[in-house]
Amino acid sequence: MSEAVKKEVEIEIKDLGVTFQDNSGNDVQALTGVNLNIYKGEFVSLLGPSGCGKTTLLRSVADLQEPTEGTVRIAGMTPKEIRMQQKFGFVFQQPVLFDWRTVKKNIELPLEIMYYSKEERSQRADEMLEMVGLKNFANHFPKQLSGGMQQRVNIARAFGLRPEILLMDEPFSALDEFTKEKLHEDLLQIWRQTNKTVLFVTHNIQEAVFLSDRVCVLSPHPGRLSAVVEIDLPRPRTLEMKETQRFNELVTKVRNSFEGGSV
Amino acid sequence: MAQKLKRKKSLYQRGKENKKVQAALTVLLPVLFGILVIALWQGQSLHKMFHTDTYTLPLPTKIGSIFMDNRDKIWENTVATVSVAFIGLMLGSLLGYAVAILASFFPKMGKGGLSIIGAFASVPVVAMAPVLNNWTKDISNEASVRSMVAKIIVVMLVSAANMSLNAYRGLTELKPYAEDLMATYAAKKRVILVKLRLPNSVPYIFIALKVAVPASIMTTIVSEYFAEYITGVGRQIRENIVLAQYSTAWAYIVTACLLGVISYVILMIVQSILLRKHQ
Amino acid sequence: MKNKVKSLANKKWVSTVFWLAILVIVWEIGASMIAVTKRTPENIMPHLYQIIEAAFSPKPVANGMSATMVVLTSARATLVRALGGFLLGAILGFLLALLMKLSGIVEKLMFPYLMLIQLIPVLGLAPIILAITGDINKSRIVIAAILSFYPVATNTLAGFKSVEKDKYDLMFTYAAPKRKIYIKVLIPSAIPYFFTGLKIAAPMAITASILVDTLQGDGGLGCMLSQSLKHAMSIYVFWLIVFFSAFIGIFSGYLMGWLEALVSPQKRGIKRTKRKKGGN
Repeated sequence: MSEAVKKEVEIEIKDLGVTFQDNSGNDVQALTGVNLNIYKGEFVSLLGPSGCGKTTLLRSVADLQEPTEGTVRIAGMTPKEIRMQQKFGFVFQQPVLFDWRTVKKNIELPLEIMYYSKEERSQRADEMLEMVGLKNFANHFPKQLSGGMQQRVNIARAFGLRPEILLMDEPFSALDEFTKEKLHEDLLQIWRQTNKTVLFVTHNIQEAVFLSDRVCVLSPHPGRLSAVVEIDLPRPRTLEMKETQRFNELVTKVRNSFEGGSV
Repeated sequence: MAQKLKRKKSLYQRGKENKKVQAALTVLLPVLFGILVIALWQGQSLHKMFHTDTYTLPLPTKIGSIFMDNRDKIWENTVATVSVAFIGLMLGSLLGYAVAILASFFPKMGKGGLSIIGAFASVPVVAMAPVLNNWTKDISNEASVRSMVAKIIVVMLVSAANMSLNAYRGLTELKPYAEDLMATYAAKKRVILVKLRLPNSVPYIFIALKVAVPASIMTTIVSEYFAEYITGVGRQIRENIVLAQYSTAWAYIVTACLLGVISYVILMIVQSILLRKHQ
Repeated sequence: MKNKVKSLANKKWVSTVFWLAILVIVWEIGASMIAVTKRTPENIMPHLYQIIEAAFSPKPVANGMSATMVVLTSARATLVRALGGFLLGAILGFLLALLMKLSGIVEKLMFPYLMLIQLIPVLGLAPIILAITGDINKSRIVIAAILSFYPVATNTLAGFKSVEKDKYDLMFTYAAPKRKIYIKVLIPSAIPYFFTGLKIAAPMAITASILVDTLQGDGGLGCMLSQSLKHAMSIYVFWLIVFFSAFIGIFSGYLMGWLEALVSPQKRGIKRTKRKKGGN
């Protein structure tokens, strides 16, 4: 990725704070004072333990959560404007598939909502199925697939939209290690082909380091951004890199920055 | 910044007030609707709507006064209906539960038996009641006794059908690994039943009863139509309509509705007491 | 051979047939006992073959019609009304559930009454509804409609409410218009629940229609049932109607299950691939 491209800010988060009300009516600060710029085409992870507000941050970018303080700007526009232009791709932790639709029809669903022609929908769905290696399962129903395959469909659906920004909320946390590693490689490959901006929420340090250009470490009580670690591992990344000294150094660095920030 | 904070506060307050408003509406709307319907009834607008007269559809005040005038007789018939519904419900639920336990011991053969018992829930009461009347003719010389037995058996069959299917699910759909855990303790079938299956089935018993309690009253009322001996709330509705005493019939209709509601409320109270530890 | 017997015993329908056979044997034992002890055994418990014989006998029992013809003609009158009421109730039930989902006010207004109507013995209202409408056919339809209406409404509403938050969030990120959310997500999600409602409603509509028959001597299964009980015609007409209505009551529930499989692509799809795998 060239420096010139990297400098173009895509998502600008300023003084962001989110306060919830719990059931007894008390205010709970989920997130406070977050400042972060994410560049176009960058892969950024939001890393932290549960309760650190990483999902809240992601949801604020997606317009799923209204911030109580501060602003989020995406290419100069509000999250709502970007959402209304249908430029988001969101991948949830659960596959969120529709049981009565075949795999292919599930991938076509957002395209149907966005009024794409039948040919275009079918062509894009086929393309995505090929990309995630589920070509032979196009006419299966979600219930007939394994958890890993379901999550592939979920990712294919998000990419099929050709979104400007891909937001992923712990998409692999429910999968086993073997499936996870395979999907990491697949995700990076698709990302390289499409070159989208990716915001990736995870609680797995190795996963964050392996995938990202930058890892943003968040700490709880109240949720805040405590460190940003540049990951200078070369691209394309391969599973062998996980054995390198540099990888382990970066993992240690991320872990230390988290512990220092949270205690 | 200060302005923004203010906006935030007002948003919260709005949210809080909104919750209160919503809660108030949840109660107020249906109450007002009910009052409106009764007012339309009393004001005879309903009669115009349904093209009927105050003779067939008496005013609420008239039904009320008839209800009070006949309360001894209504009480007598209520006792007849409730005792049939209650005994039938209890016997049927016990029978259904026993069948479910047997089926859980022998699932291969049991499932088919369950589907047959379950089918009794779909057999029209109208078809069952006269058959049972015929079968119970020799049970007693007293018409009141043999009618009661016939009605109880019909209610029993319907309740058993409801209970057996739900109880079987409660006895067999256990938490994952619970059975494996018991197996590692080398627990006997009887122990698994007492420690695992029976407690697990308690919520399902109430799922069954939520259907079976209103159904038992409805079934009692319908089988009263066919009974040899004239008694019960349902039979009185019919008899009074045949005699063109519509106000009295309506008093019994009100009684029937109250029976349905009160029995359900009682069930809910029992459930909240018994299921406290399940939640 | 032994394995074959074993795998046969594992099939559910085999045990159903087994219990059905037991039921038949018990009935026949009862019938044989009653045949020797009672003066008119056919009133209490005739042999099953006697009932079947009556079904196939061309001998006229009423108005020059054979017993089976009597049952079928009156069944038509009853079942057409039951079907009318059932369809009316199912459509209204679905629409009410949709309205309740669309509008919080309608939901708040109707929800307690929807619960209340389930507790009221609606069949007990049959005579008064006949008195108000003054027409047996209208009453049949009205009662069948009320009885079909509330299981469909409550189950469909539960179906709408079963849609997880994630699905709404997903639609939100697509900026999907409300109409699309209903067509693509909410209504398809509610379909299985809607059919659960129909499965409960169908036998109830039939029961309702037969019951209303018994209130007036205008034909229909219930009316013939009462008349044959009073020995206005052969008692076997009574037995035929009893078994026939039991059969259609049970069958109507299964019919809804088949209809559901017909309209749910995932059910058909899963079955198809299963069969393929089994064939290999």
